[in-house]
Amino acid sequence: MLTAVKNQVRVCMLSVKYNIMREMLNKVTFLTNVTFMILNNGSILIQWFILFRLREDIGGYTMREVILLWGLTAASFGLSHILFARVYSLPELIVSGKLDSYLVQPKSVLLGVMTSATDISAIGDLLYGVILLAAGGLGVRGFMMSLLFVVTGMIILTAFAVLLGSLSFWFVRVDMLSGQMIMGLVSFATYPDGIFRGISRFLLYFVMPVGMVVYHPVHILVRFDAGMLLTVLGYACLLSVAAAAVFYRGLRRYASSSLMEARM
Amino acid sequence: MSGQEKNAVSKTGVLNGKKWRKYRVIYRSVLMENLQYAANIALGFFGYFVFIFIFIKLWDYMYQEPGELIAGYSKEQMIWYVMMTEMMWFGSNASAVARQVKTDIRGGNIAYLMNKPYHYTLYILAKYTGEWSVRLPMFAGLAVVIGTVLVGPVPAFKIITVPAMVVCIILGLTINAVLQICISLLSFWIEDATPFRWLYDKLLLVVGTIFPLEIFPRTAQAFFKLTPIYPVCYGPAKLIVDFGPEKCIEILAVQALYLAAGCGLMFFIYRKGVKKLYVNGG
Repeated sequence: MLTAVKNQVRVCMLSVKYNIMREMLNKVTFLTNVTFMILNNGSILIQWFILFRLREDIGGYTMREVILLWGLTAASFGLSHILFARVYSLPELIVSGKLDSYLVQPKSVLLGVMTSATDISAIGDLLYGVILLAAGGLGVRGFMMSLLFVVTGMIILTAFAVLLGSLSFWFVRVDMLSGQMIMGLVSFATYPDGIFRGISRFLLYFVMPVGMVVYHPVHILVRFDAGMLLTVLGYACLLSVAAAAVFYRGLRRYASSSLMEARM
Repeated sequence: MSGQEKNAVSKTGVLNGKKWRKYRVIYRSVLMENLQYAANIALGFFGYFVFIFIFIKLWDYMYQEPGELIAGYSKEQMIWYVMMTEMMWFGSNASAVARQVKTDIRGGNIAYLMNKPYHYTLYILAKYTGEWSVRLPMFAGLAVVIGTVLVGPVPAFKIITVPAMVVCIILGLTINAVLQICISLLSFWIEDATPFRWLYDKLLLVVGTIFPLEIFPRTAQAFFKLTPIYPVCYGPAKLIVDFGPEKCIEILAVQALYLAAGCGLMFFIYRKGVKKLYVNGG
Protein backbone atom coordinates (compact mmCIF):
# COMPACT_ATOMS: atom_id res chain seq x y z
CA MET A 1 0.00 0.00 0.00
CA LEU A 2 2.74 2.43 1.08
CA THR A 3 4.85 1.45 -1.95
CA ALA A 4 1.90 2.06 -4.27
CA VAL A 5 1.38 5.55 -2.80
CA LYS A 6 5.11 6.24 -3.05
CA ASN A 7 5.16 5.16 -6.70
CA GLN A 8 2.11 7.28 -7.47
CA VAL A 9 3.67 10.37 -5.87
CA ARG A 10 6.91 9.70 -7.77
CA VAL A 11 5.08 9.49 -11.09
CA CYS A 12 3.22 12.74 -10.32
CA MET A 13 6.44 14.54 -9.42
CA LEU A 14 8.11 13.30 -12.60
CA SER A 15 5.12 14.45 -14.65
CA VAL A 16 5.33 17.96 -13.16
CA LYS A 17 9.10 18.01 -13.62
CA TYR A 18 8.84 17.15 -17.33
CA ASN A 19 6.02 19.68 -17.80
CA ILE A 20 8.28 22.41 -16.43
CA MET A 21 11.29 21.21 -18.44
CA ARG A 22 9.20 21.29 -21.62
CA GLU A 23 8.10 24.86 -20.90
CA MET A 24 11.69 25.88 -20.17
CA LEU A 25 12.88 24.92 -23.63
CA ASN A 26 12.58 28.57 -24.67
CA LYS A 27 14.38 30.26 -21.80
CA VAL A 28 13.58 33.85 -22.86
CA THR A 29 9.84 33.15 -22.98
CA PHE A 30 10.04 31.30 -19.67
CA LEU A 31 11.87 34.13 -17.90
CA THR A 32 9.67 36.90 -19.34
CA ASN A 33 6.56 34.95 -18.35
CA VAL A 34 7.71 34.57 -14.75
CA THR A 35 9.17 38.07 -14.36
CA PHE A 36 6.23 39.88 -15.93
CA MET A 37 3.75 37.89 -13.86
CA ILE A 38 5.52 39.14 -10.71
CA LEU A 39 5.39 42.74 -12.02
CA ASN A 40 1.79 42.25 -13.10
CA ASN A 41 0.79 41.11 -9.61
CA GLY A 42 2.90 43.80 -7.97
CA SER A 43 1.01 46.56 -9.80
CA ILE A 44 -2.12 45.67 -7.82
CA LEU A 45 -0.49 47.09 -4.70
CA ILE A 46 -1.04 50.57 -6.22
CA GLN A 47 -4.76 50.06 -5.65
CA TRP A 48 -4.18 49.38 -1.97
CA PHE A 49 -1.82 52.32 -1.47
CA ILE A 50 -4.54 54.57 -2.90
CA LEU A 51 -7.25 53.04 -0.72
CA PHE A 52 -5.16 53.25 2.45
CA ARG A 53 -4.53 56.94 1.70
CA LEU A 54 -8.30 57.39 2.12
CA ARG A 55 -8.85 55.21 5.22
CA GLU A 56 -6.55 53.83 7.89
CA ASP A 57 -8.20 50.42 7.84
CA ILE A 58 -10.41 48.70 5.30
CA GLY A 59 -12.80 46.07 6.61
CA GLY A 60 -10.65 45.76 9.73
CA TYR A 61 -7.50 45.13 7.65
CA THR A 62 -4.36 47.26 7.67
CA MET A 63 -1.80 47.17 4.84
CA ARG A 64 -0.01 44.31 6.61
CA GLU A 65 -3.10 42.07 6.57
CA VAL A 66 -3.79 42.96 2.94
CA ILE A 67 -0.22 41.92 2.09
CA LEU A 68 -0.79 38.59 3.85
CA LEU A 69 -4.14 38.19 2.04
CA TRP A 70 -2.49 38.79 -1.34
CA GLY A 71 0.51 36.61 -0.44
CA LEU A 72 -1.66 33.63 0.49
CA THR A 73 -3.97 34.01 -2.53
CA ALA A 74 -1.16 34.45 -5.08
CA ALA A 75 0.97 31.62 -3.66
CA SER A 76 -1.95 29.15 -3.33
CA PHE A 77 -3.21 29.98 -6.82
CA GLY A 78 0.32 29.74 -8.21
CA LEU A 79 1.14 26.40 -6.57
CA SER A 80 -2.15 24.92 -7.74
CA HIS A 81 -1.50 26.05 -11.33
CA ILE A 82 2.09 24.75 -11.26
CA LEU A 83 1.23 21.28 -9.97
CA PHE A 84 -2.34 20.76 -11.15
CA ALA A 85 -3.05 23.20 -14.01
CA ARG A 86 -5.08 20.63 -15.92
CA VAL A 87 -7.91 20.60 -13.37
CA TYR A 88 -8.84 24.08 -14.57
CA SER A 89 -9.58 22.67 -18.05
CA LEU A 90 -11.20 19.47 -16.75
CA PRO A 91 -14.67 20.30 -18.22
CA GLU A 92 -13.17 20.61 -21.71
CA LEU A 93 -11.41 17.22 -21.36
CA ILE A 94 -14.62 15.55 -20.23
CA VAL A 95 -16.98 17.13 -22.76
CA SER A 96 -14.67 16.55 -25.73
CA GLY A 97 -13.91 12.98 -24.64
CA LYS A 98 -10.20 13.49 -24.18
CA LEU A 99 -9.86 11.44 -20.99
CA ASP A 100 -9.19 8.21 -22.92
CA SER A 101 -5.42 8.49 -22.83
CA TYR A 102 -5.50 8.79 -19.03
CA LEU A 103 -7.83 5.82 -18.55
CA VAL A 104 -5.40 3.33 -20.06
CA GLN A 105 -2.52 4.26 -17.78
CA PRO A 106 -1.80 1.98 -14.81
CA LYS A 107 -1.98 4.89 -12.35
CA SER A 108 -4.69 6.93 -10.67
CA VAL A 109 -6.78 8.58 -13.40
CA LEU A 110 -7.47 11.72 -11.39
CA LEU A 111 -3.85 12.30 -10.39
CA GLY A 112 -2.74 11.53 -13.94
CA VAL A 113 -5.10 14.19 -15.32
CA MET A 114 -4.27 16.73 -12.61
CA THR A 115 -0.51 16.60 -13.10
CA SER A 116 -0.54 16.52 -16.89
CA ALA A 117 -0.02 20.27 -17.42
CA THR A 118 1.80 23.17 -15.83
CA ASP A 119 1.02 26.85 -16.17
CA ILE A 120 4.47 28.32 -16.28
CA SER A 121 3.47 31.91 -15.46
CA ALA A 122 2.11 30.55 -12.16
CA ILE A 123 5.73 30.30 -10.98
CA GLY A 124 5.60 34.11 -10.96
CA ASP A 125 2.43 34.00 -8.86
CA LEU A 126 4.04 31.61 -6.37
CA LEU A 127 7.24 33.65 -6.07
CA TYR A 128 5.27 36.89 -5.68
CA GLY A 129 3.09 35.31 -2.99
CA VAL A 130 6.06 33.96 -1.04
CA ILE A 131 7.85 37.35 -1.26
CA LEU A 132 4.76 39.08 0.16
CA LEU A 133 4.45 36.51 2.97
CA ALA A 134 8.13 37.01 3.81
CA ALA A 135 7.53 40.77 3.85
CA GLY A 136 4.48 40.37 6.09
CA GLY A 137 6.52 40.61 9.31
CA LEU A 138 5.45 37.19 10.61
CA GLY A 139 8.75 35.95 12.03
CA VAL A 140 10.19 32.50 11.23
CA ARG A 141 7.40 30.52 12.94
CA GLY A 142 4.66 32.62 11.38
CA PHE A 143 6.28 32.38 7.96
CA MET A 144 6.44 28.57 8.21
CA MET A 145 2.79 28.53 9.20
CA SER A 146 1.92 30.76 6.24
CA LEU A 147 3.61 28.20 3.96
CA LEU A 148 1.36 25.54 5.51
CA PHE A 149 -1.63 27.71 4.58
CA VAL A 150 -0.30 28.06 1.04
CA VAL A 151 -0.49 24.26 0.82
CA THR A 152 -3.99 24.05 2.37
CA GLY A 153 -5.14 26.89 0.10
CA MET A 154 -3.72 25.08 -2.92
CA ILE A 155 -5.49 21.85 -1.90
CA ILE A 156 -8.84 23.61 -1.37
CA LEU A 157 -8.60 25.55 -4.67
CA THR A 158 -7.66 22.41 -6.60
CA ALA A 159 -10.36 20.28 -4.96
CA PHE A 160 -12.95 22.99 -5.63
CA ALA A 161 -11.91 23.08 -9.31
CA VAL A 162 -12.12 19.25 -9.54
CA LEU A 163 -15.55 19.32 -7.90
CA LEU A 164 -16.89 21.97 -10.31
CA GLY A 165 -15.15 20.45 -13.33
CA SER A 166 -16.56 16.99 -12.55
CA LEU A 167 -20.07 18.38 -12.96
CA SER A 168 -19.33 18.18 -16.71
CA PHE A 169 -19.94 14.43 -16.44
CA TRP A 170 -23.60 15.29 -15.84
CA PHE A 171 -24.08 18.72 -17.43
CA VAL A 172 -22.77 20.31 -20.64
CA ARG A 173 -21.52 23.94 -20.66
CA VAL A 174 -20.26 23.79 -17.09
CA ASP A 175 -16.85 24.98 -18.31
CA MET A 176 -17.72 28.67 -18.31
CA LEU A 177 -19.53 28.51 -14.97
CA SER A 178 -16.65 26.56 -13.45
CA GLY A 179 -14.07 29.06 -14.73
CA GLN A 180 -16.08 32.00 -13.47
CA MET A 181 -16.61 30.44 -10.03
CA ILE A 182 -12.84 29.94 -9.69
CA MET A 183 -12.07 33.49 -10.84
CA GLY A 184 -14.85 34.79 -8.59
CA LEU A 185 -13.27 32.95 -5.67
CA VAL A 186 -9.89 34.50 -6.44
CA SER A 187 -11.45 37.99 -6.83
CA PHE A 188 -13.18 37.75 -3.45
CA ALA A 189 -10.02 36.34 -1.88
CA THR A 190 -8.11 39.54 -2.60
CA TYR A 191 -10.46 41.82 -0.62
CA PRO A 192 -10.89 41.91 3.16
CA ASP A 193 -13.79 39.87 4.50
CA GLY A 194 -14.76 42.80 6.75
CA ILE A 195 -16.36 44.68 3.82
CA PHE A 196 -18.83 41.82 3.23
CA ARG A 197 -21.81 41.42 5.52
CA GLY A 198 -24.95 39.31 5.79
CA ILE A 199 -25.70 36.80 3.04
CA SER A 200 -22.54 37.58 1.03
CA ARG A 201 -20.36 36.80 4.04
CA PHE A 202 -22.24 33.52 4.55
CA LEU A 203 -21.67 32.59 0.88
CA LEU A 204 -17.95 33.34 1.10
CA TYR A 205 -17.51 31.04 4.08
CA PHE A 206 -19.93 28.23 3.24
CA VAL A 207 -20.49 28.09 -0.55
CA MET A 208 -17.31 29.47 -2.14
CA PRO A 209 -14.50 28.30 0.13
CA VAL A 210 -12.81 31.74 0.19
CA GLY A 211 -12.96 31.81 3.98
CA MET A 212 -11.01 28.55 4.23
CA VAL A 213 -8.47 29.49 1.53
CA VAL A 214 -7.47 32.90 2.89
CA TYR A 215 -9.70 34.63 5.46
CA HIS A 216 -9.29 32.08 8.30
CA PRO A 217 -5.54 31.66 7.57
CA VAL A 218 -4.98 35.45 7.72
CA HIS A 219 -6.88 35.63 11.03
CA ILE A 220 -4.81 32.73 12.40
CA LEU A 221 -1.55 34.36 11.28
CA VAL A 222 -2.53 37.59 13.02
CA ARG A 223 -3.88 35.89 16.15
CA PHE A 224 -3.24 32.15 16.56
CA ASP A 225 -6.31 29.97 17.12
CA ALA A 226 -5.74 26.18 17.28
CA GLY A 227 -9.44 25.40 16.73
CA MET A 228 -9.54 27.47 13.55
CA LEU A 229 -6.31 25.83 12.34
CA LEU A 230 -7.83 22.35 12.78
CA THR A 231 -10.97 23.52 10.97
CA VAL A 232 -8.93 24.64 7.93
CA LEU A 233 -6.90 21.40 7.88
CA GLY A 234 -10.03 19.26 8.27
CA TYR A 235 -11.87 21.21 5.56
CA ALA A 236 -8.97 20.74 3.11
CA CYS A 237 -8.99 16.96 3.72
CA LEU A 238 -12.79 16.66 3.48
CA LEU A 239 -13.06 18.71 0.29
CA SER A 240 -10.30 16.65 -1.35
CA VAL A 241 -12.07 13.38 -0.51
CA ALA A 242 -15.41 14.79 -1.73
CA ALA A 243 -13.85 16.05 -4.99
CA ALA A 244 -12.21 12.67 -5.71
CA ALA A 245 -15.47 10.84 -4.90
CA VAL A 246 -17.50 13.06 -7.25
CA PHE A 247 -14.90 12.69 -10.02
CA TYR A 248 -14.86 8.89 -9.85
CA ARG A 249 -18.67 8.73 -9.55
CA GLY A 250 -18.91 10.90 -12.67
CA LEU A 251 -16.23 8.90 -14.49
CA ARG A 252 -18.69 5.98 -14.67
CA ARG A 253 -20.82 8.16 -16.98
CA TYR A 254 -17.87 9.16 -19.18
CA ALA A 255 -18.28 8.43 -22.89
CA SER A 256 -15.22 8.39 -25.13
CA SER A 257 -15.15 10.39 -28.35
CA SER A 258 -12.91 7.70 -29.91
CA LEU A 259 -10.32 10.42 -30.38
CA MET A 260 -6.88 9.06 -31.20
CA GLU A 261 -4.47 10.84 -28.90
CA ALA A 262 -1.02 10.13 -27.53
CA ARG A 263 0.38 11.52 -24.29
CA MET A 264 4.07 12.24 -24.35
CA MET B 1 2.26 52.32 -46.34
CA SER B 2 1.93 48.83 -47.88
CA GLY B 3 -0.13 48.01 -50.96
CA GLN B 4 -2.95 46.64 -48.81
CA GLU B 5 -3.03 49.79 -46.72
CA LYS B 6 -3.14 51.82 -49.91
CA ASN B 7 -6.13 49.74 -50.98
CA ALA B 8 -7.88 50.61 -47.74
CA VAL B 9 -7.23 54.33 -47.97
CA SER B 10 -7.66 56.18 -51.25
CA LYS B 11 -5.01 58.45 -52.77
CA THR B 12 -6.77 61.59 -51.60
CA GLY B 13 -6.75 60.30 -48.05
CA VAL B 14 -10.54 60.02 -48.04
CA LEU B 15 -11.77 56.59 -47.10
CA ASN B 16 -13.09 54.81 -50.15
CA GLY B 17 -16.46 53.16 -49.44
CA LYS B 18 -16.01 50.30 -51.92
CA LYS B 19 -12.69 49.29 -50.42
CA TRP B 20 -14.25 49.10 -46.99
CA ARG B 21 -17.13 46.89 -48.11
CA LYS B 22 -15.14 43.70 -47.42
CA TYR B 23 -14.60 44.77 -43.81
CA ARG B 24 -18.32 45.48 -43.47
CA VAL B 25 -19.00 41.92 -44.72
CA ILE B 26 -16.53 40.49 -42.17
CA TYR B 27 -18.15 42.62 -39.46
CA ARG B 28 -21.66 41.49 -40.41
CA SER B 29 -20.76 37.78 -40.57
CA VAL B 30 -19.10 37.90 -37.11
CA LEU B 31 -22.05 39.86 -35.75
CA MET B 32 -24.52 37.23 -37.03
CA GLU B 33 -22.34 34.44 -35.65
CA ASN B 34 -22.17 36.08 -32.22
CA LEU B 35 -25.92 36.64 -32.15
CA GLN B 36 -26.30 32.84 -32.35
CA TYR B 37 -24.25 32.49 -29.18
CA ALA B 38 -25.83 35.30 -27.15
CA ALA B 39 -26.77 32.79 -24.42
CA ASN B 40 -23.10 31.81 -24.05
CA ILE B 41 -22.16 35.46 -23.66
CA ALA B 42 -24.77 35.80 -20.93
CA LEU B 43 -22.90 33.12 -18.94
CA GLY B 44 -20.17 35.75 -18.54
CA PHE B 45 -22.53 37.93 -16.50
CA PHE B 46 -21.51 36.10 -13.33
CA GLY B 47 -17.91 37.36 -13.49
CA TYR B 48 -19.07 40.92 -14.08
CA PHE B 49 -21.57 40.72 -11.24
CA VAL B 50 -18.92 39.41 -8.80
CA PHE B 51 -16.58 42.26 -9.68
CA ILE B 52 -19.23 44.93 -9.36
CA PHE B 53 -20.57 43.42 -6.15
CA ILE B 54 -17.10 43.60 -4.58
CA PHE B 55 -16.72 47.25 -5.56
CA ILE B 56 -20.16 48.19 -4.31
CA LYS B 57 -19.24 46.68 -0.93
CA LEU B 58 -15.80 48.30 -0.98
CA TRP B 59 -17.09 51.81 -1.71
CA ASP B 60 -19.97 51.29 0.74
CA TYR B 61 -17.26 50.80 3.34
CA MET B 62 -15.06 53.67 2.14
CA TYR B 63 -17.88 56.25 2.14
CA GLN B 64 -18.73 56.43 5.81
CA GLU B 65 -20.81 59.64 5.83
CA PRO B 66 -23.89 60.22 3.66
CA GLY B 67 -23.16 62.85 0.98
CA GLU B 68 -19.38 62.48 1.44
CA LEU B 69 -17.19 63.23 -1.60
CA ILE B 70 -13.94 61.44 -2.44
CA ALA B 71 -11.82 63.17 -5.11
CA GLY B 72 -14.94 65.12 -6.05
CA TYR B 73 -17.08 62.01 -6.62
CA SER B 74 -20.13 60.97 -4.62
CA LYS B 75 -20.53 57.28 -3.71
CA GLU B 76 -23.05 56.77 -6.53
CA GLN B 77 -20.77 58.42 -9.09
CA MET B 78 -17.78 56.38 -7.92
CA ILE B 79 -19.67 53.07 -8.20
CA TRP B 80 -21.17 54.00 -11.58
CA TYR B 81 -17.68 54.94 -12.78
CA VAL B 82 -16.39 51.45 -11.94
CA MET B 83 -19.51 49.84 -13.42
CA MET B 84 -19.03 51.67 -16.72
CA THR B 85 -15.31 50.95 -17.05
CA GLU B 86 -15.88 47.30 -16.16
CA MET B 87 -18.81 47.15 -18.59
CA MET B 88 -16.43 48.23 -21.36
CA TRP B 89 -13.83 45.75 -20.14
CA PHE B 90 -16.15 42.73 -19.92
CA GLY B 91 -18.31 43.82 -22.87
CA SER B 92 -15.43 44.17 -25.30
CA ASN B 93 -13.21 41.22 -24.37
CA ALA B 94 -10.28 42.92 -26.10
CA SER B 95 -7.86 40.30 -24.81
CA ALA B 96 -9.44 37.88 -27.32
CA VAL B 97 -8.09 40.12 -30.11
CA ALA B 98 -4.61 39.93 -28.69
CA ARG B 99 -4.90 36.16 -28.21
CA GLN B 100 -5.97 35.67 -31.82
CA VAL B 101 -3.09 37.75 -33.23
CA LYS B 102 -0.61 35.90 -31.03
CA THR B 103 -2.03 32.50 -32.02
CA ASP B 104 -2.04 33.40 -35.73
CA ILE B 105 1.60 34.45 -35.59
CA ARG B 106 2.86 31.63 -33.39
CA GLY B 107 0.85 28.96 -35.17
CA GLY B 108 1.77 30.19 -38.66
CA ASN B 109 -1.86 30.83 -39.65
CA ILE B 110 -0.83 34.38 -40.49
CA ALA B 111 0.83 33.04 -43.64
CA TYR B 112 -2.62 32.22 -45.01
CA LEU B 113 -4.36 35.32 -43.69
CA MET B 114 -1.84 37.86 -44.99
CA ASN B 115 -2.37 36.72 -48.58
CA LYS B 116 -6.11 37.35 -48.49
CA PRO B 117 -7.50 40.49 -50.23
CA TYR B 118 -7.69 42.44 -47.00
CA HIS B 119 -5.28 43.98 -44.55
CA TYR B 120 -4.76 41.52 -41.69
CA THR B 121 -4.96 44.11 -38.90
CA LEU B 122 -8.15 45.66 -40.30
CA TYR B 123 -9.61 42.17 -40.65
CA ILE B 124 -8.94 41.57 -36.94
CA LEU B 125 -10.46 44.97 -36.07
CA ALA B 126 -13.60 44.24 -38.14
CA LYS B 127 -14.00 40.86 -36.43
CA TYR B 128 -13.52 42.41 -33.01
CA THR B 129 -16.10 45.12 -33.73
CA GLY B 130 -18.58 42.40 -34.73
CA GLU B 131 -17.95 40.63 -31.42
CA TRP B 132 -18.39 43.61 -29.13
CA SER B 133 -21.44 44.80 -31.07
CA VAL B 134 -23.29 41.88 -29.46
CA ARG B 135 -21.48 41.67 -26.13
CA LEU B 136 -21.40 45.32 -25.17
CA PRO B 137 -25.15 46.06 -25.36
CA MET B 138 -25.80 42.94 -23.26
CA PHE B 139 -23.35 44.02 -20.58
CA ALA B 140 -24.65 47.60 -20.77
CA GLY B 141 -28.16 46.31 -20.08
CA LEU B 142 -26.90 44.28 -17.12
CA ALA B 143 -24.93 47.27 -15.78
CA VAL B 144 -27.99 49.51 -15.93
CA VAL B 145 -30.11 46.90 -14.09
CA ILE B 146 -27.48 46.23 -11.38
CA GLY B 147 -26.72 49.93 -10.98
CA THR B 148 -30.33 51.03 -10.77
CA VAL B 149 -31.29 48.28 -8.31
CA LEU B 150 -28.22 48.30 -6.04
CA VAL B 151 -26.96 51.89 -6.29
CA GLY B 152 -29.68 54.09 -7.77
CA PRO B 153 -29.66 56.14 -11.00
CA VAL B 154 -26.59 58.10 -12.19
CA PRO B 155 -26.80 61.56 -10.54
CA ALA B 156 -27.73 64.37 -12.99
CA PHE B 157 -27.82 62.02 -15.98
CA LYS B 158 -29.27 63.58 -19.16
CA ILE B 159 -30.51 61.30 -21.95
CA ILE B 160 -29.55 63.91 -24.58
CA THR B 161 -25.86 63.27 -23.86
CA VAL B 162 -26.09 59.57 -24.75
CA PRO B 163 -24.98 59.89 -28.44
CA ALA B 164 -21.73 61.64 -27.40
CA MET B 165 -21.12 58.96 -24.77
CA VAL B 166 -21.71 56.18 -27.32
CA VAL B 167 -19.19 57.73 -29.76
CA CYS B 168 -16.70 58.09 -26.92
CA ILE B 169 -17.15 54.44 -25.84
CA ILE B 170 -16.78 53.15 -29.43
CA LEU B 171 -13.60 55.18 -29.92
CA GLY B 172 -12.26 53.97 -26.57
CA LEU B 173 -12.86 50.31 -27.47
CA THR B 174 -11.26 50.73 -30.90
CA ILE B 175 -8.17 52.46 -29.48
CA ASN B 176 -7.81 49.66 -26.94
CA ALA B 177 -8.07 47.01 -29.67
CA VAL B 178 -5.51 48.82 -31.86
CA LEU B 179 -3.05 49.02 -28.96
CA GLN B 180 -3.66 45.35 -28.05
CA ILE B 181 -2.93 44.40 -31.68
CA CYS B 182 0.27 46.51 -31.61
CA ILE B 183 1.46 44.62 -28.52
CA SER B 184 0.51 41.21 -29.94
CA LEU B 185 2.32 41.96 -33.20
CA LEU B 186 5.54 41.92 -31.15
CA SER B 187 5.14 38.12 -31.40
CA PHE B 188 6.86 38.48 -34.78
CA TRP B 189 10.08 39.16 -32.85
CA ILE B 190 9.57 37.39 -29.53
CA GLU B 191 7.75 34.10 -29.36
CA ASP B 192 5.13 35.23 -26.87
CA ALA B 193 4.16 38.87 -26.31
CA THR B 194 1.56 37.96 -23.66
CA PRO B 195 3.64 39.24 -20.70
CA PHE B 196 3.70 42.74 -22.24
CA ARG B 197 -0.07 42.58 -22.63
CA TRP B 198 -0.42 41.67 -18.93
CA LEU B 199 1.33 44.88 -17.98
CA TYR B 200 -0.77 46.97 -20.37
CA ASP B 201 -3.97 45.30 -19.15
CA LYS B 202 -2.99 45.78 -15.53
CA LEU B 203 -2.22 49.45 -16.12
CA LEU B 204 -5.72 49.90 -17.52
CA LEU B 205 -7.36 47.73 -14.87
CA VAL B 206 -5.68 49.04 -11.75
CA VAL B 207 -5.32 52.69 -12.66
CA GLY B 208 -8.03 53.15 -15.28
CA THR B 209 -11.01 51.03 -14.36
CA ILE B 210 -10.98 50.98 -10.58
CA PHE B 211 -10.39 54.66 -9.83
CA PRO B 212 -11.07 57.92 -11.64
CA LEU B 213 -7.84 59.83 -12.32
CA GLU B 214 -8.74 62.57 -9.80
CA ILE B 215 -8.04 60.16 -6.95
CA PHE B 216 -4.29 60.06 -7.73
CA PRO B 217 -1.74 62.69 -6.64
CA ARG B 218 -1.52 65.66 -9.07
CA THR B 219 1.83 64.65 -10.61
CA ALA B 220 0.55 61.12 -11.27
CA GLN B 221 -2.65 62.54 -12.81
CA ALA B 222 -0.61 64.55 -15.32
CA PHE B 223 1.31 61.41 -16.29
CA PHE B 224 -1.75 59.15 -16.54
CA LYS B 225 -3.50 61.69 -18.79
CA LEU B 226 -0.83 60.98 -21.40
CA THR B 227 -1.31 57.20 -21.22
CA PRO B 228 -4.04 55.11 -22.95
CA ILE B 229 -5.95 55.17 -19.65
CA TYR B 230 -7.37 58.59 -20.55
CA PRO B 231 -8.94 57.78 -23.95
CA VAL B 232 -9.79 54.13 -23.20
CA CYS B 233 -11.16 54.09 -19.63
CA TYR B 234 -11.36 57.46 -17.94
CA GLY B 235 -12.78 59.49 -20.84
CA PRO B 236 -15.90 57.42 -21.61
CA ALA B 237 -16.69 56.69 -17.95
CA LYS B 238 -16.16 60.32 -16.88
CA LEU B 239 -18.67 61.50 -19.49
CA ILE B 240 -21.25 59.03 -18.21
CA VAL B 241 -20.99 59.97 -14.53
CA ASP B 242 -20.21 63.68 -14.90
CA PHE B 243 -20.95 64.99 -18.40
CA GLY B 244 -19.64 68.39 -19.51
CA PRO B 245 -19.53 69.74 -23.11
CA GLU B 246 -15.96 71.04 -22.80
CA LYS B 247 -14.77 67.80 -21.25
CA CYS B 248 -16.52 65.89 -24.03
CA ILE B 249 -14.72 67.85 -26.78
CA GLU B 250 -11.39 67.44 -25.00
CA ILE B 251 -11.84 63.67 -24.62
CA LEU B 252 -12.96 63.19 -28.25
CA ALA B 253 -9.96 65.20 -29.49
CA VAL B 254 -7.54 63.08 -27.43
CA GLN B 255 -9.24 59.92 -28.70
CA ALA B 256 -8.93 61.06 -32.34
CA LEU B 257 -5.22 61.73 -31.85
CA TYR B 258 -4.68 58.40 -30.10
CA LEU B 259 -6.56 56.48 -32.79
CA ALA B 260 -4.57 58.09 -35.63
CA ALA B 261 -1.24 57.49 -33.88
CA GLY B 262 -2.26 53.95 -32.82
CA CYS B 263 -3.29 52.95 -36.35
CA GLY B 264 -0.07 54.41 -37.77
CA LEU B 265 1.93 52.40 -35.26
CA MET B 266 -0.10 49.24 -35.94
CA PHE B 267 0.52 49.43 -39.73
CA PHE B 268 4.20 50.19 -39.13
CA ILE B 269 4.77 47.24 -36.77
CA TYR B 270 2.83 44.90 -39.05
CA ARG B 271 4.84 45.95 -42.12
CA LYS B 272 8.13 45.44 -40.28
CA GLY B 273 6.89 42.21 -38.66
CA VAL B 274 5.82 40.35 -41.80
CA LYS B 275 9.35 40.82 -43.16
CA LYS B 276 10.53 38.78 -40.17
CA LEU B 277 8.03 36.02 -40.88
CA TYR B 278 9.57 32.60 -41.28
CA VAL B 279 7.15 29.83 -42.17
CA ASN B 280 7.90 26.20 -41.56
CA GLY B 281 6.39 23.82 -44.06
CA GLY B 282 3.68 21.40 -43.03
